[in-house]
This record gives sequence, structure tokens and C-alpha cells, in this order.
Amino acid sequence: MSAHSHVDGQLPHEPEKATLEGRNKVLGFWLFLGGETVLFGTLFAAYLALRNQVGDGNPTSQELFDLGLVAVATFILLTSSLTSVFAIQAMHKNQVKPMLIWLAVTVLLGLGFLGLEIYEFVHYVHAGHGFTTSAFSSSFYTLVGFHGAHVAFGVVWITILIFQVLRKGLNVVTAPKVYVAGMYWHFIDVVWVFIFTVVYLMGKVG
Amino acid sequence: MSSNHSASEQQGRRHKVEGPQKHIIAYVFSLVLTLLAFATVIAGEVNTMFTYILLIVMAGIQVYIQMAFWMHMKDRGHMYAIVGILTGVFVVFTMVVMAEYWVWW
Amino acid sequence: MAHGHTVKRYSGLMDWLTTVDHKKIGILYLIAGGLFFLIGGLEAILIRLQLWKPLNDFVSPDTYNELLTMHGTTMIFLAAMPLLFALMNAIVPLQIGARDVAFPFVNALGFWTFFFGGLLLNISWFTGGAPDAGWTSYVPLATNTYSQNHGVDYYVLGLQIAGIGTLVGGINFLVTIINMRAPGMSFMRMPMFTWTAFITSALILFAFPALTVGLVALMFDRLFSANFFEVSNGGNAVLWEHIFWIFGHPEVYILILPAFGIISEVISTFSRKRLFGYSSMVFATVLIGFLGFMVWAHHMFTVGLGPIANALFSIATMLIAVPTGIKIFNWLFTMWGGSIKFTAANLFAVGFVPTFVMGGVTGVMLAAAPADFQYHDSYFVVAHFHYVIVGGLVLGIFSGLHYWWPKMFGRMLSEGLGKLTFWTFFIGFHLTFFVQHFLGLLGMPRRIYTYQDGLDFNLMNLISTVGALLMGIGTIIFLINIVVTAVKPKNAAADPWEDGRTLEWAIPSPAPEYNFLQTPLVRGYDALWKEKMDGNKGMTPAEPIGPIHMPSPSILPFVMSLGLFITGFGLMYSHYIIAGAGLLITFGCMFLRSIFDDHGFHIEPEELKDKGVKA
Repeated sequence: MSAHSHVDGQLPHEPEKATLEGRNKVLGFWLFLGGETVLFGTLFAAYLALRNQVGDGNPTSQELFDLGLVAVATFILLTSSLTSVFAIQAMHKNQVKPMLIWLAVTVLLGLGFLGLEIYEFVHYVHAGHGFTTSAFSSSFYTLVGFHGAHVAFGVVWITILIFQVLRKGLNVVTAPKVYVAGMYWHFIDVVWVFIFTVVYLMGKVG
Repeated sequence: MSSNHSASEQQGRRHKVEGPQKHIIAYVFSLVLTLLAFATVIAGEVNTMFTYILLIVMAGIQVYIQMAFWMHMKDRGHMYAIVGILTGVFVVFTMVVMAEYWVWW
Repeated sequence: MAHGHTVKRYSGLMDWLTTVDHKKIGILYLIAGGLFFLIGGLEAILIRLQLWKPLNDFVSPDTYNELLTMHGTTMIFLAAMPLLFALMNAIVPLQIGARDVAFPFVNALGFWTFFFGGLLLNISWFTGGAPDAGWTSYVPLATNTYSQNHGVDYYVLGLQIAGIGTLVGGINFLVTIINMRAPGMSFMRMPMFTWTAFITSALILFAFPALTVGLVALMFDRLFSANFFEVSNGGNAVLWEHIFWIFGHPEVYILILPAFGIISEVISTFSRKRLFGYSSMVFATVLIGFLGFMVWAHHMFTVGLGPIANALFSIATMLIAVPTGIKIFNWLFTMWGGSIKFTAANLFAVGFVPTFVMGGVTGVMLAAAPADFQYHDSYFVVAHFHYVIVGGLVLGIFSGLHYWWPKMFGRMLSEGLGKLTFWTFFIGFHLTFFVQHFLGLLGMPRRIYTYQDGLDFNLMNLISTVGALLMGIGTIIFLINIVVTAVKPKNAAADPWEDGRTLEWAIPSPAPEYNFLQTPLVRGYDALWKEKMDGNKGMTPAEPIGPIHMPSPSILPFVMSLGLFITGFGLMYSHYIIAGAGLLITFGCMFLRSIFDDHGFHIEPEELKDKGVKA
């Protein structure tokens, strides 16, 4: 039984798990996320170890962080996580158009988040908090930047998937891809929850 | 084609199509937790250690909600997902202990 | 249902560059890993030649540092792990009755990234200096201040690229073992080698990301003037040690667990007995994997983490002796009362047991933190880890290669030459490393390029060098064996040892590209042995003969890895356009892989009949 034998027929309820290839993909991605947990965990550990190594005359986390900006970014990313849930729900109901629209909204919100992050970084650099300023700044930009790179990758990825589904339709080959991208997007949001908690809020508390 | 037993079992089970309400509730709950976290920090004037613990607990709850509902980890057929993530979390836990206690002294 | 896709099938070199067949990828791992093993071995022999007499000037101190660093790095990352991956690729899918791995494309990608990473690392010899900060690359020695040439950059980027390959390979094996088992092959019926491959893959998944971050941090420090480990700017050198060993300690279990699996298979087969205490063996494997994450700081006892940390890590480390002891006794009890055949494979396995016990005993000695202050950074440590890695892992790999060679290549290795390999290598090994325990206790520090006369080091160093040469001869005999075997006719039987217990012996040697004509039905542990005991000719098929779906070959994994290789060069020499072009190649390949579906092709039942194969 090959993957595309379902293409013309009725799409099953959970098309991402209809084929062995699909189930492999979903399971493999879950395990990959387990590895990503360790990846971000190590970045967090490095940040936690170095967060007080600010150096003389450089801005501290209390002076630097703008909670308003972070709150907006958090709101955007949280909302994008919800819209990607809606996309997967639409997929499970085999509603291709709503799914694509929700995915597009997710991408737009992701772009908004990235824009804010870039603005934030530029702002910090002007405030004397460059990548090479101190151990604190290096570990901060590496951690938050890794997350930002993940968001950027996700934005490109989901955009490609939108065009793929437009061309190929929703079937048992494309459905696992969309599902996995959705998992990835949630994971990014989960990492951000810890970033705004550990980096920004705790950094503000001092 | 050989197939995995637990996964095919789960696939054969009939599934009712769920509505968006549950997810909106999860969203609102996450939003409230986020607001509370920001409010705690902005209000200040609380014991630092207590604030830290409160913040971590709220982040933990929020992450649990999102992973359980939005990533479907509470649904059946997610045993390996749970094992994978929890093992990762365990390794991260050891690293946080390392970062807090065994880097500077 | 069968689609008439005409998939281009390559031959010759293109076949090997584009293959997604796990058996061929296994052979690629064997060739590449074997090549790096020879390079690493040559480096070892050069080290021993430098040390054979006091105040020798065979190599300069700088060259010695490079040899030392590259020997360790090559042997761990580019020889030991790929050789294990070779056996895992060749055997694990067969042992679980699978037609293929879960992600054939990713599997190929894993091989090529490893290969290009290793290539990048070794190119450093020709471009102004190999890395010379030790295989652990401790800062501050590895920072720009003390390592000003590009050596450590090669280490950082080469290992980063090779590490990606290992990580995706690990995920592939995890999913394969979870999702692709034949009907009836429950977890507690899986052969021991498959179990150890499973746990090793899990360790890879959770340990390698830590290395990734460590290497990224060191790379940022070196190339972009970050301050993770730059003490003058608030960085911390101990942080590197922690991150490295949080990865590094699981890494040693990543290496040894599959060797445990091989030894279990070989001893069971050649004792013609069921593996003693199978479930305790599984339990011990899982426990070793778990504890492996909680002992990293025993590499750092002398850093000064304080009595609480040292005590905790000391106890956790000693705990590992318990599951390891369980394994040792299980192997002994498997042999007990069996009708043992001392084939070359079994000689290596039986030789493994006492050798590994010796390495384990010195491990417990080192785990005692106060005593470790005496042993630390002496040849005692060198002796210890060579006993577990060479005496454990390398003997295990030799055993596995002799055992599974007919399944991989369809030809039996010469038993006589195999036994000669064993005796020369085994005696050479103990000559080399046994005396190093005493060198360490006498106070000879490790990682020094020479020593003074009159310290009582001379004779033992000479013995050690003679032993190393003997190990070199043993390896050459093995190579001769391979050549001699390669010209013999390809006539190995499906079950050439006649006592095969597991599923890989139920199919022809070498395995056909679809592995199993019909997926077998597994009715118990030691699936094939059970059928033999029940008087059946072979496995009961679980499905009728039908068309078999195969994935298409692809050049993308090769090109993708080439892109990363180019990126590595670009980053190192600050040519960011080249680095960007490399990344563009890699991401471009990902894009192509995403938009063009791989429909694969089918092998029809008529084609299968011509070959006259049985399930």
C-alpha cells in the first residue's frame, strides 16, 4: 500500500496518521522536539549561568528590558499558536480553505513577532548591549536569537506548505507535513513561555 | 506493510470532531496566566525568591495546558511523545541545577 | 495499486552516492568509519613512537598535541560511532523483521553529514594545523587567546556537522524500532542488539543537542568574539566543562551499549543457549542509559565543585557498576553449561568480558572522588578509558564484524586469520594499556609529549609502544582477511553459523534489498530459534507475496551535506558569501525534498520469483 493510494478517495479523519509514513513522521518529530528541549535547555542553562556577568558600565537586565514590548510579542506568539490549532482543526474536518487561511494568519503573526524582535535587538544594541559586550549579552542574544531563528524557519516552512497544499491539495502526503509544522509552531511558543518568564520577567526582578 | 500496533488501534477508533471552544478556553487561560506573570513583576514589592517560584509555576501550568491540549499530548497514542519530552525535561533539569549551583562558587 | 513510475536506478559510483538502502548505508559507514579508524590508529602509533624512550624528538611538541587531539576526536566521533552505526544499519532492521528503516532519506543524510564533517576535521592537517586543545577542547586553551590558528575552528565546525548526522541517524533508529517491528515482535522479544541500539539512539537524541550548543558557544567565542568562555569579559571556563561532559558522559554509553548488545548476541549464539536473564539485561541497559545522564561531573572532581557535588556524582557513578555487573554475570551464565564454539567472533566476545571488567574496576576506583585527586590527569585514567573503549567497544566491533560479515557481504571471513587478528590485537592491547595503570600510579601525567630519564617510566613505555605496534599488526591482519575474503566466491548460507537465533539469519546472505520477501510472523524471543526448535523450516509469513514498495534513490543527501561542508569553510575563513552559498545549497535541497514527493517504486512479485528467494 503506497502513500498516494488515498489521494483520490475520501480523506480519513486524522489524515496525518493514515499512513505508516505519516505516523513515522509525527513520531520522529516528537522525538526531535525532545532533542530540541535539550538544545534550548542548554541555552537556558548557559544564560542562567552568565546572566549576572554584565560588566562595568554596561546596562543590566533591569535597565534594559522593555516589558511592554515583550508583552506584545508574547501576545502575538500566543495568538499565532491558537491560529495554528484552528488550522489543524480545519484540516481534521477536511476544510482546505479555512486551513490555509489560518496558516496564513499564523505566518503573518510570526512575521509580526520577528519584526518586534528585530526592533528590540536594534534598540538594545543602541543602548550599549551588543553581542560582544559581555557574557550576559552573548548568552542573551544566543538564546533569544536561536528562538528567533526557529520562528523565522517556521515562517518560511509554513509558507512553503501553504503553496504546496494549494498545488497538490490536502492528502495523506501533505497532511502530515502540515500537522508536524503545527507541532513545531506550538513548540516555539512553549519555548517562548520560558523565555519571557526566565529571561525577561526574572531579569526584571533581578 | 507492517504497521505499529498501538498506532493502528488508535487510528481505527472513531473520533468525534471537536469544536474550537476547548482551545479558546485554553487560549484565554494562557492569556490570564501571562498577564498575571507580568503583573506580578510590574507590581514588584514581593519577595524575590517567591516571585521566581510563582513565575516558574505559572509558566509550567501554561506550558502544560498548551502541550496537553494544543499538541494533543493528553490524547491516546502519545506515550512516546510524553516519554520523549519528559526525558528532555529531566536532562534540562540537571543542567539548570548545574548552572545555578556548580558554575560559580 | 502499483504505479508505473519509472524510477531511475543508478549503478557504480552514483549508486553509492544516491543510495537510501540501509544495508548499503551500513557498508558506507563501515568504509568511512574504517578509514577514520586507520587514520586514528596511525596517529596512536605515532604517539607511541614518540613516547617509546625518554626525551625523544620524533615529533615536535606542537605536532604531538595535534596528534593527541586528533587521535581522540577521530576515534570517538569518526571511527567508533560510525562503525557502530554500520552494524546498526546493517542489522537492526533485519532483526526486527522490517523491510526498511523509517526514514531512508534521513538515514542517507545522516551518513553524508557525518562523512563531510569528518572530512572537514581532517582537512585541517593540510591547512596550517590540526586542532590541538585535546578531544575535550577545554577552554581557555581552546579560545582565541591560546589557540590562534584555525585548528580549533575545524574541531568546532567539523564536529558540529558530523553531530547533525549522528542526531538524525539516532532519530531514524528510534522511529524504526518503535514503528516498524514485524507482527509479534513485541519490545520484550527484541534481540539484545536491537535493544541496545534503541537505548543508544535515545542517548544520542538527548545528549547531542548539548554538544551542539557547546560547539555553537565556542564557535561564537572564536569567530564572532562572544564571551561565553572569555573570563576577562565575564565568561566562565567551568561552564564549558559542564556542557561538554553533560554530552560527553552519555557519549561513552552511546559507544559501549551497542557493544554490549553485540556481545550478548555472539555469546548466546556460540554458546547455543538462550541469553541468560534477558529481561534483567534489558533493564540494566535502560538503567545504564538513565544513570549516564547523572554522572557527568565525575570528570570534574578536581575542579572544586565542593564536597556535596563530588559526593553526589561519586555515588551516582558507583551505582552504574550494579547494572553493568548484572550484564557481566548474565554473559557468564549464558556461557555456563553451553556447548561453546570458539569462532573468531566468539573469541573477541569472550575476550571482551574480563577486559571490560578490568576497565570497570578502575572506573569504580576513579569514581571515588578523594582517590581521583591522585589518579586525575595521569596515565591511570588513560589506561582506564582505553580498557573500556578499546577493550570494550573495539573488541565488540571486531566481534560483530566477524559475526555479521556473511550477512553484510555474503562471504565468510577466514576463521584462521580472524583468530590470528584476535590474538595479536588482544595481546597487543593488554601490553599497551596494562602497564599504563602503573605508569599513572607512578605519576606519569597524561598529554605530555615526553618525559625525563630516570623516573622508572622507560621500560613500561617501551612495552606500551611494542603493544601498540602489535595492535597495528592485528588490524593489518584483519585488512588482509577482508581482501582475501573479497576474492572468494559469494556463497555464505542464510544461516552460516548454523546456530542463528534471530531474524537476520532467516533471510539470504547478503540480505536482498527488500530484506523480507514476506514480513515474518514472530512467535517468541529468539524468533528463528523458536521456529527451529518447533521443527519448522523457516519463519511463518505474516502476509501473502505482493508488490514491495521501495523508496527512490536520491542525490540530495549528498548535496545537502556538501552545502554544510562549504558553509563550514566559509565561516572559518570569514568568507560569509561562501558560507551563505553553502547554506543556500543545503536549504535549497530541503526545499526540493519538500516540494517533490517521493513516490518510490514497486518490486513486483514476478521479479521476486525469478530470484528464487525464500522469506
